[in-house]
Amino acid sequence: MRLSGRPNRNRAVALCTLCFPLAWHGGVFRSFQSPSSELKCKMKFAIYLPPKAESSKCPVLFWLSGLTCTEQNFITKAGSQQAAAEHGIIIVAPDTSPRGCNIEGEDESWDFGTGAGFYVNATQEPWKTNYRMYSYITEELPRLLASNFPVDAERMSLSGHSMGGHGALICAFKNPGKYKAVSAFAPICNPMQCAWGQKAFSGYLGPDKTTWEAYDATVLAASYAGPPLDILIDQGRDDQFLSASQLLPDNLIAACSQKNIPVVFRLQQGYDHSYYFVFSFINDHIKHHAKYLNA
Amino acid sequence: MDLFGGILDVIDEEMTVSDDEDKVEDRTRALMDMYSLENTEAQAKPQVSTFQRFSVDTNESLHFEPYIPEGDESEHALGNDDVFLTGNQSVFDESKELMEGRTAQSESDPPDAYCTDCQTSTYVFQNITGPHKNHRVILMKKAAQEIKSSINKTRSKLEEKITQMENFAGNLEEIFITVEENFGRQEQNLEHHYNDVLQTLAHRYDERASALEDEKKMKLESLYSQLIDCGKMLDNSKELIEQAQMVYRNENKYSFLQRVMPVMKRIEEHAKKEPDLKISTSLEFDTQTANLSDVKQMMDSINAVPAPSAPVMNPQVPNSATCTSVRVCWSLFSDDTVEYYELYSRPIFEDITVESDLEASKLKVKETHYTVTDLLPNAQYEFWVTATNTTGISPASEKAVYMTVPSPPVIKPRECTSCPDAALIRWDSGNSNPVDSYTLELIEMGAESGRAGVTESIVAIPTCECLIQLQPGKCYLIYVRAVNIGGPSERSESFTVSTTGTFFHLLEDTAHPCLSVSEDGFTMFYTDEELPLSEMAFSDNTFARCVAVLGDLIPVRTKHYWEVEVDPHTEYRIGVAYEDTQRNAYFGGNNTSWCMRHVLTPSRHKYEFLHSGWTPDIRITSHPLRIGVALDYDQGKLSFFNADLGQHLYTFDCQFLHYVHPCFALDNPGGLSLRNGVTPPHYISLI
Repeated sequence: MRLSGRPNRNRAVALCTLCFPLAWHGGVFRSFQSPSSELKCKMKFAIYLPPKAESSKCPVLFWLSGLTCTEQNFITKAGSQQAAAEHGIIIVAPDTSPRGCNIEGEDESWDFGTGAGFYVNATQEPWKTNYRMYSYITEELPRLLASNFPVDAERMSLSGHSMGGHGALICAFKNPGKYKAVSAFAPICNPMQCAWGQKAFSGYLGPDKTTWEAYDATVLAASYAGPPLDILIDQGRDDQFLSASQLLPDNLIAACSQKNIPVVFRLQQGYDHSYYFVFSFINDHIKHHAKYLNA
Repeated sequence: MDLFGGILDVIDEEMTVSDDEDKVEDRTRALMDMYSLENTEAQAKPQVSTFQRFSVDTNESLHFEPYIPEGDESEHALGNDDVFLTGNQSVFDESKELMEGRTAQSESDPPDAYCTDCQTSTYVFQNITGPHKNHRVILMKKAAQEIKSSINKTRSKLEEKITQMENFAGNLEEIFITVEENFGRQEQNLEHHYNDVLQTLAHRYDERASALEDEKKMKLESLYSQLIDCGKMLDNSKELIEQAQMVYRNENKYSFLQRVMPVMKRIEEHAKKEPDLKISTSLEFDTQTANLSDVKQMMDSINAVPAPSAPVMNPQVPNSATCTSVRVCWSLFSDDTVEYYELYSRPIFEDITVESDLEASKLKVKETHYTVTDLLPNAQYEFWVTATNTTGISPASEKAVYMTVPSPPVIKPRECTSCPDAALIRWDSGNSNPVDSYTLELIEMGAESGRAGVTESIVAIPTCECLIQLQPGKCYLIYVRAVNIGGPSERSESFTVSTTGTFFHLLEDTAHPCLSVSEDGFTMFYTDEELPLSEMAFSDNTFARCVAVLGDLIPVRTKHYWEVEVDPHTEYRIGVAYEDTQRNAYFGGNNTSWCMRHVLTPSRHKYEFLHSGWTPDIRITSHPLRIGVALDYDQGKLSFFNADLGQHLYTFDCQFLHYVHPCFALDNPGGLSLRNGVTPPHYISLI
């Protein structure tokens, strides 16, 4: 498999291998860096290629990480490789925001700016040039992968944790039919109504709350009219952010019940917001994705 | 062998009883009739030996006609009407031929013609004028040919006759042998009989002789005692006389006078006694007329055919019985002559007291077998038989017990279940008495319209149910037969099994009284009407609080899948439970049941997945109307799906200690339907 091909005139696709390939369960885990045209910086992503990828194209699951995470967290901590290998799914974990853009204030808070891209296309200065995570995830990254890896671009799905869960949900609602399945761990379901979301949206999108609606899963659900989705959401009952009303899953459930969007929401007793929680249920999610990706 | 023996006896009778020709022939015919019946039976079987025993006046090949030439052939062979050599030649043609073939010119030449009428040679030129002018004259050559052909004909006729003679000789030989055998048998019989007679006579003699002895003894004894008496008397008398003499000699007159009186008295008394001079016994012996009537009878019976000995009942041949008939067979003990048999039959009941009252029914039979009909299925009958001929009836044979096959069983469709790998079939015996075992037959239906494949049989099934291993995704026809010592019954009505999905019925006797099941057995209702408690019929097996019912499940350790259709307003519990789950509990509330529960609150639908009273907290936004239930014994998983969306709802991880039953309950008035025999969707395998 050629990793660094000739630079395509239209797109810069020079990739740089960042680490030695690690073999996991018969597959391969690698990290890459590539300049992004959307984000105007070099972006890293991690990718797990199952054994099946050696011989044929595989579907791909995008894992969107949460606040303060990088592309490494999921691959190193979640333990998803075995299930992915079993079902022949490629897992791609991008970074959570553009980095090294030298924007003033980007490192001031842990829940805004660096590591907190909120998967939106910012419209406000000084963020709007670089903070275009929504387009990066939904358009640039799939193209990049299709050119360089044996991915089946017709079979993609989304999952994520916390802010990444929010990202997965909105990308799925905003692109009916593009993603075969979606699932989330402790997602921020209704950012317009929680402190995190309000801070991030007012910073990235400005004061007009109507512009926020386009990036709010609960609002998007209420007006969703696309092909049927099957959403699996796991939420730790002992999650501090749940009790801090940052996550608001009830709002999403109500909206989905109203619109008859199939959701199975599981409140898991004894689990919090950590990656241990993700690790505990990631296999169920991968099976959920496999059902639709391999159908 | 009796066939041959019988006929030979007929021959024998003809030879010995010559005065009763007519009677014999009638009897011959009768016996022949009997054995011709036997013969038609025997014709089906190939005859092993070509030996045939013939009666003198019945078989054609023995009919030997001496060869008598038709008239005097030598004279007529070449007459005008004989056309065997010359075809249909007319006289004119012949004479033309004659003229053309003439070779002799005068009488000094050898003759060239032949007169068939006079059978002498002659000359052609003399034909018209000679002595044979009105006779048929032909060329010598031709004459020679004609004569030769007639010789051939004669020869072949003679050859035929030779063959016939040889046949006849062969037959005679056989008859000789038969006669020898017959003679041998008769001789044996005779010897036996006469031995008997002699023995009886000897016995009689002994009896008589010993009787005479006894009598003699008796007489001698009485005479002897008489003698003794006389002797005694003599002695007495002598003694008296001596005494008298003594007294007489007594000189002493005085003592003489004293003694003489009693002595004289005694003598007088004694003299008065009349001696009994009559001999006590007669000198004659009683000559009893010997009772030899039985000997006479034996003598009479010697020439007659002996009465047959008891026949032998054959044991029941397997597969010769049906459910209402049995084929009873017996054979003769020896080469007896038999006119007919009488077959007795009597049913055997389990209850011995009934048996003694029943009379046996009797049937007259000519063959050594009979198919008795109008019997009860799966019943035992005892049969015995006697053989009869002109002399008498044989003793009864030993009793043999025959059994009719059972009636076919009846498969109970509502109690049969199936899954992709197996099926559990249950049936009713179909017989009031027990049978030995059951046989199950299954035929795989081919893909081509109903063409049946090979029949597989499972035998020696001891009870009225059977778990059979099958291939998934196929269709089978199942039949059951009941088997006893008489053989297997007819097939039961067929039952079709489709190894697609898991198929089962509800155990209606576990249903709560308020739960009613539709006629097809797959839809259940909890009706609004309040039944008063008194009208509710509870049993140990019914659910008493939860309005619930159990389904039947095959005990097969594979994956099972079924679906339940619900309506959004029904509160239900759907899952599985052990057979012994508490009947007064609610599903999911104990550790013997697992279920998905739907609760309707004023604000929303609530779904619980209950076991041991515990449920995870799960919200479901799209309310399932068709719930798929997947059970995996090996992995210990019970899963629920929204079958319309293919959405996985929840999976229990459990270790099943026993086989489980599907369970269904309604918590409010409403209904639900079971959908069975459904192919599991592909996503089941992802659990």
